Amino acid sequence: MSTPAQEFLRNAAIKSADLAHRRTIRTGIDHYEAAVGRTGSRFNDWEAARQRIHEIKWEAVNHLDRYLLEFETRLKARGGHVYWAETAEDARRYIADLAARNNVRTVVKSKSMVTEEIDLTHTLEEKGVTVFETDLGEMIVQLRKEPPYHLMTPAMHLTRAEIADLFREKLGGVESDDPQHLVSVARRALRKAFFSAEMGISGANFLVADSGMMALTTNEGNGRLGSSLPRIHVAVAGIEKVIPRMEDLAVIWPTLARSAVGQPIACYNTLIGGPRGPNETDGPEEFHLVLLDNGRSELLADPEQREVLHCIRCGACLNVCPVFRKIGGHSYGTVYGGPIGSVLMPHLGGLNKFQHLSYASSLCGACTDACPAKIDLHHHLLQNRRNAVRSADRPASERLAFKLWRWTMMGSERFAFFAGVARGLLRAAYGLGLARTPLDPMRSWTKVHAAPAIPAKSFRALWKEQRGAS
Amino acid sequence: MGDTLRRPTQLQKTDGMGSKACTIVEPMKKVAMFIPCFVDQLNPEVGIDMARVLRRIGYSVDFPEAQTCCGQPAFNSGYWQEARPLAERFVKIFGALDADAIVCPSGSCTTMVRNFYPDLLAGSSRAGDAAKVATRIFEFSEFLVKVAQVADVGANFPHRVAYHDACHALRELRLKQEPRELLRHVRGLEFVEMPYCEECCGFGGTFATKFPMISSAMGETKAANAETSGAEYVTSTDPSCLMHIDGILRLRKSPVRTIHLASILAQTAAPAEAEPASRGADAQGAAGKVAR
Amino acid sequence: MEQAENPGRERILERVRNALRETAPKHAPPASSGPIFAPVANPFDRFQKECAQNLTECVVTSDMGASAAAVGEVLASIPAGEIFVQEAPELRRMVPLWQGGRSIRWSSEGGPIEASQATITLAEALVAQTGSVFVSSGCGGRGASVAAPVHIVVAAADQLVPDLDAAFARLRERGAQEKNSMLCLITGSSRTADIEKILVMGAHGPRRLVVVLALRAVPSRD
Repeated sequence: MSTPAQEFLRNAAIKSADLAHRRTIRTGIDHYEAAVGRTGSRFNDWEAARQRIHEIKWEAVNHLDRYLLEFETRLKARGGHVYWAETAEDARRYIADLAARNNVRTVVKSKSMVTEEIDLTHTLEEKGVTVFETDLGEMIVQLRKEPPYHLMTPAMHLTRAEIADLFREKLGGVESDDPQHLVSVARRALRKAFFSAEMGISGANFLVADSGMMALTTNEGNGRLGSSLPRIHVAVAGIEKVIPRMEDLAVIWPTLARSAVGQPIACYNTLIGGPRGPNETDGPEEFHLVLLDNGRSELLADPEQREVLHCIRCGACLNVCPVFRKIGGHSYGTVYGGPIGSVLMPHLGGLNKFQHLSYASSLCGACTDACPAKIDLHHHLLQNRRNAVRSADRPASERLAFKLWRWTMMGSERFAFFAGVARGLLRAAYGLGLARTPLDPMRSWTKVHAAPAIPAKSFRALWKEQRGAS
Repeated sequence: MGDTLRRPTQLQKTDGMGSKACTIVEPMKKVAMFIPCFVDQLNPEVGIDMARVLRRIGYSVDFPEAQTCCGQPAFNSGYWQEARPLAERFVKIFGALDADAIVCPSGSCTTMVRNFYPDLLAGSSRAGDAAKVATRIFEFSEFLVKVAQVADVGANFPHRVAYHDACHALRELRLKQEPRELLRHVRGLEFVEMPYCEECCGFGGTFATKFPMISSAMGETKAANAETSGAEYVTSTDPSCLMHIDGILRLRKSPVRTIHLASILAQTAAPAEAEPASRGADAQGAAGKVAR
Repeated sequence: MEQAENPGRERILERVRNALRETAPKHAPPASSGPIFAPVANPFDRFQKECAQNLTECVVTSDMGASAAAVGEVLASIPAGEIFVQEAPELRRMVPLWQGGRSIRWSSEGGPIEASQATITLAEALVAQTGSVFVSSGCGGRGASVAAPVHIVVAAADQLVPDLDAAFARLRERGAQEKNSMLCLITGSSRTADIEKILVMGAHGPRRLVVVLALRAVPSRD
């Protein structure tokens, strides 16, 4: 029974060596970077946009109770139901019960990371409900029975040929691997589901407090259909999703679209305020919003890391992460991957279980620069490491090693002495031709590097000599 | 250089764990060198070469021998309790110096002192010293261009050279143009940009030992990009990156070699300037890193 | 939800209040902070330029009469079959100008059906900054703007606002978020980049979005 850390090491090693996979990722990322570059000119001041997003979320998250209550009051006034779920199990049970009470046989679902977090689809399927993922990327990975690969583009690890084969097998009517054609195959397959499903489930990108409406962004229109046609609409959202005002979306929508996919703005930016209104001719009869805690209130209580809750789930941090570009989205083995996942998972799932993700980073800082909400991601990884050393299980050998290391470094003579001994040892070993053999003292380094040149004299020795000579 | 009085210039530091501003008031003549522990032991030529360049442009150079390490390895691994005494020792040694600036041939070590010491030593008796030292420490290329305000250090290196943007130098110290400006003024040097020059090389300190497969995959990409650029040499501000990239380049028997920025800048046309002691490593069983 | 049915509510709120006893730090603003978006100098030109980029078909007409004819032309280009139209006097008036004897399902009868070939609606506003159409559930219902392969929007120049800030101001002035259970900013026709991150038009929503824009000011939908 391997631990998440062991699983991660294994998967990361496999994927890092998989050149075809790396090429696919690189192609996708190149498209993304080009698109982000093109949309830069739409902003007069991108840094000002980032600062505004930061301030909007700071205001919302640091006054979370006030804004949540305002949101709830307004939504309920329009006939919406609000359920506060403390845990994933709590949320699942509420939704499953709702489905059972209403004899729901078919659900159409749009992409939602939080529904992955609570493992909703499996729960419903176990109870005999058919769940159709309607986001194309999610649908593809659902058909392949695998988790989403990436926060924003769940199927970016697959080529069109692989998707064509998949559709040929599962859906039929596939004539080529042209992306345009494949999309129309998916559309045809899902239309019946949209028009016959009893329940639509979605996430929510934002919960707008001053209008009591949830904001939902898609490009495909699946979220629109899922919240218009079925009789019941259920939305699940983390409690941190609130924003204070509807007007905040004027900055958020374009910024989110740029960071997520390099678009000027997404195709459908929707605001939903409840079930159909009394004078409205269509729309769901019931609307339920499930607010999820599941560890968020604990993260909220840490002022140093509270801003991690500002995340607007754009996925930019994954796109720019050099580690993600090598290991891909599945290696993380968690609902939330990449830099945001590495920062977040110890808080949602425990340090002992997930600290390894915070260490699996070179701390390059590309994520922090890319984050449209100015979350200091790589510094939060450092803080997670500090917290792990303080209060989680670290190998005893590592704790001892750093104690010895510290002792050595506290004196320049002892440092020079022991370092000199180590150098001498390496020179002797390499002189005997032991470089890159099992007896190489730097074996873990030289497994993947040529043996380094070991100088005969240190800088401080040379410096002393020079000064003596002059 | 001259004795002209220059107006104060503000150096805006990054928003690391706090924002710093630094004021330079007039031309300085005396600097102290902070030589990172692994440079001291594994890349001594980098320190020798940096001293040579600094002297050439008119600075007297001091090396406080009591120094050992800034504490970054422990800090980055989360062992802040172990890093703290080292940080206190560092600011005690460097805070007491007569020098006007501390110059370091490593972006990551400079970052540690400037961006992370203030938080690491918050509440300690050395917090004031830490703040002072943080405003006086510079990465080498940053010192040359922004403080000494010299872009042409009289260097000669007739080769095609690409520059790897080391992550700390790029994103923590916000250095992008400075190393390039220095390289552009080197006689005979043909500068080429590598594809994905800002992408991390994969060293990341203990990351390389904890996750060697990911680290080396990232290094391979960096090595391949260096080869694609057609460069003969890859250079950078950070010897740790170069050690990693070099080990991978030599493993794949690449024609590309690595060289630290200080070692390029130390090269002049006159061979008499070269000091035998700095002639790379008299290495056994492995090719030397610096071609002269 | 009654307290008994949702005991978690109070517990979550309690945890949130306790968590917030200490304020978190804020990031300093950047050194120079200009407006986030450059002001839109010429909304009409900008709207057309954006539509060209996001592949919204924008047809400019002189007045509603000409708009009616333009809608008729669009209808002539799509396959035979029922269309779904927002129940509105302006659109009722246009019907005689549409040739072809299509059967029309009006929004007063309910939502669009799976076989609807096109939907025709009014709009709440047009946004120049992004070349977008702001609709609401009051524009023929929720399904009207998304269910059929073609969505035709009948609008007028006085509905055009320069940017998103102005759009929200206009919606708020009219109480749109109170009167409607749904608002939607539509930019272009539905699309996806889920296959190799390559953009493909026409996912689950309409494949074509057509905005018929009458220059002469006419009374808007309310």
